Amino acid sequence: MAYSVNISIEAPVENQIQEITYDGQEIYQTPLTMSESLAKLAQKIDFSKSACDDIKKELDVSDGTDDETSSKDPSAFQSSLWPWDSVRNKLRNALTEVCVLADVLAIAKEKRYMVLDPVQQEMHETKPIAQVYARKKALAGAASVLLNGSERLRACQNEAARNRSTPDFHIELLRLRQNWRLKKVSNTIVGDLSYRTAGSKYAQAGMFEVTKAEDDNERSNSPPASPGANPKPASALRVTVPSELQGVAYIAVLCQKDQEDLCSASINLLGSAPKSSNADMHWQQRLEAAQNVLFCKELFNQLAKEAVQLHAPIPHMVVGNQIMASTFPSIQLIIGLCHSTGAGGDKKTGSGGCGAGQKAEHDHVLEHSLHQLLREVHHKNTHHPFPHPSSAPLGPTKRRCLAGPTAADRYQLLEMTKSQTLLEQIIQQAQHFFLRMRTEYVLDTIIKEVKDPLIISHWNALNSPTFSCVKINIISHGYDAVGRTSLIIQVMEKTLKCVCRDGRVMHMSYEPQELRDLIYCQIYQHQLTVVQALARCMGWQYLANSAHLGIGAVETRGNASSCILASPMGDRLIAVRCEPQGGMQVSIAHSPKKDFFSGQLVKERKWENLGGSFKEVRWDKMEGKNFLNKMELLMASLTSS
Amino acid sequence: MGVTILQQFPMLENRTGPQTIDFLTKRVVALGAIQCGQFLVDCDTYMSTPSLGPQRTVHVMHNSEQPASVFSLLESSGKTIPLVADGLFDLLMLKMTPIYTKKQTKVESKGPRFELADFCIKLGSVTISQNFKGVLVEVEYRPCVVPATCWDLLREFLQGFLGSCVPSMPPQYLQPRMNEIYQPMDTIQQYLEHFSMYRKASGVLQFN
Repeated sequence: MAYSVNISIEAPVENQIQEITYDGQEIYQTPLTMSESLAKLAQKIDFSKSACDDIKKELDVSDGTDDETSSKDPSAFQSSLWPWDSVRNKLRNALTEVCVLADVLAIAKEKRYMVLDPVQQEMHETKPIAQVYARKKALAGAASVLLNGSERLRACQNEAARNRSTPDFHIELLRLRQNWRLKKVSNTIVGDLSYRTAGSKYAQAGMFEVTKAEDDNERSNSPPASPGANPKPASALRVTVPSELQGVAYIAVLCQKDQEDLCSASINLLGSAPKSSNADMHWQQRLEAAQNVLFCKELFNQLAKEAVQLHAPIPHMVVGNQIMASTFPSIQLIIGLCHSTGAGGDKKTGSGGCGAGQKAEHDHVLEHSLHQLLREVHHKNTHHPFPHPSSAPLGPTKRRCLAGPTAADRYQLLEMTKSQTLLEQIIQQAQHFFLRMRTEYVLDTIIKEVKDPLIISHWNALNSPTFSCVKINIISHGYDAVGRTSLIIQVMEKTLKCVCRDGRVMHMSYEPQELRDLIYCQIYQHQLTVVQALARCMGWQYLANSAHLGIGAVETRGNASSCILASPMGDRLIAVRCEPQGGMQVSIAHSPKKDFFSGQLVKERKWENLGGSFKEVRWDKMEGKNFLNKMELLMASLTSS
Repeated sequence: MGVTILQQFPMLENRTGPQTIDFLTKRVVALGAIQCGQFLVDCDTYMSTPSLGPQRTVHVMHNSEQPASVFSLLESSGKTIPLVADGLFDLLMLKMTPIYTKKQTKVESKGPRFELADFCIKLGSVTISQNFKGVLVEVEYRPCVVPATCWDLLREFLQGFLGSCVPSMPPQYLQPRMNEIYQPMDTIQQYLEHFSMYRKASGVLQFN
């Protein structure tokens, strides 16, 4: 190693910069003195590192010398070299320990007071094993929790993957909660589908239970049965409805005439045929069906109660699931409750009403009004008229509340107490329904029968359940402008009221013959008035007119009416006689008699101007489309000739 | 609801109250009237306590013709304020006992009620705390609501069975209101007028 060069490393001469002032001047630290640098370096010594070595060395060396040097040095340097203090302390501690150890050894040598035995090293060895064991156990526990969780998550994921369309139970429950009243009783979820919150006072409870559907066993059965054939996913939620509310119910309303159906109204509120297996239905449909059953039961219960309490001239009958009430003589209103329980297929509990209701034509109106009536009762139960004084009782109507301050007398108060039961109202509606149908039928048959004056009937589109109106116009074809007869017939519950153009008002009972007679009378009256109007247009004079002619055969309905017309020259006469039964008779006469022969009594010629006897015109042989047309032609021919 | 006229019937020396009522009943029935139950008009009078300043009087009256109503008339400093309320007003008066105390005794007019075509006739015997005071005849003409248009008819009808005791002028109370629509309160006001007259008079009112 000839080329080896000694490299000496030393600290730079520059002192450390302590501070740089703002003007760039550097302030240096003053260099350390020799003693200071020694103390600094001594501080860096880690005595604990070589503590063992020190002790071993000191054991070999005699105690006294070491003691003196170490004890002397600190005391000497204490004031000037304070940094040595830690060194001193450490040395001192070490000395104390060594002294104690020496004493112990000295005692142990004697073997009188103290024996040195080898210490069991197993203690140290078993401890880590136990620790490892405990750790293992704890880890195993944590691992099992995690594994369990992951297993469930995986199962969940697998399930969701298998049937992605199946909704979550909780989401379904949320949906259910939005539409139905639910509450939690201990571990079960119980719902209420009764109308009690809406004002119903029906005693029967409508409780149902909500459970989570157990898909597993069902799943295992269903895939082989229908692999993908059933696209509708099963709900994750199962609803258990009490057995008496299961199935489908509806109220059948029929009008019967001597065991023969005249009309019937039977409606299934759900609008669909009752399904045989309720388990397949969605919970919403099931609950709606159950609620409907409850409603129908309440309605029927109420009606049956009223039917028993009501004192009608012909008592109402309640037999099983049927109420029979008489509306008109020999016409009965039958209200039946039809309840088909789903489990046993189509097991009908409604006996008579159902079977008849199936075959008869459906009319939703009466059934709907029954529902409406009960809903009105519910509404009234919950909605009391304002204001509600705290001191006054709740419940009386607004009119009754005001009766006191307005000093209503006893008659007005008596009027207020009258209220109609549901059954009375529905009977009235049925009566009206029936009477309206009858009126329609009578009018239509007359319109078909009578061709000459045209009869047009307009039914008012807007009417109440117990009141409707029909306007009848009678016109002659081609002569609409000459004249028309119009009348209004008001159809009420048991009576008809006819209002004519001239202000006459006629009341009729429910017998159809009365209306028939009235319309026929109106038709012939129309003919006669229109003839007169036509005569005026043609320049003819009308001499006499009688609506109720006293001569001739006795008519079965009304009286014959007549009128006599004279030509513009005054030499021709036309007499029209109109019998509601027999029709029109027209006769003519010439004023200077064509066949005047002077006899013994009437000798002079001047008497021929009196006019001759009337000769009847063979009306069926006349030209013309209708009566008025024929009259026009007759008048024209008589005027010209 | 129609026009009602209230008329005192003079008591004769030799007749008791029930005899007078019987006598009038015979006359009314002879006209063809049919008895339709009984009627009752009563009046309770409450006075305000003196500590509340000027004294006020409240008359609380009931009429069986308006069974749901309670009529009250507050008299204070020359004014009379009428009020029609419902049955709860009676309970309210019970609560007001510290302010209004029932001072005077109850006045009642009760008896048979007759109906004759459009007329309603009531023969009432007036009692003040069970003591008979006189006879009040009430006649109502139901189709009419304006007193002026039916006063003559009513007067004639009254004279027909009561005789000459019926004056030719309408009652004092109705005179300024002849052309107004008649209210049930007007009947009550007439009753109050007559009741206060009976109260002032001692013994049975006599007419010569």
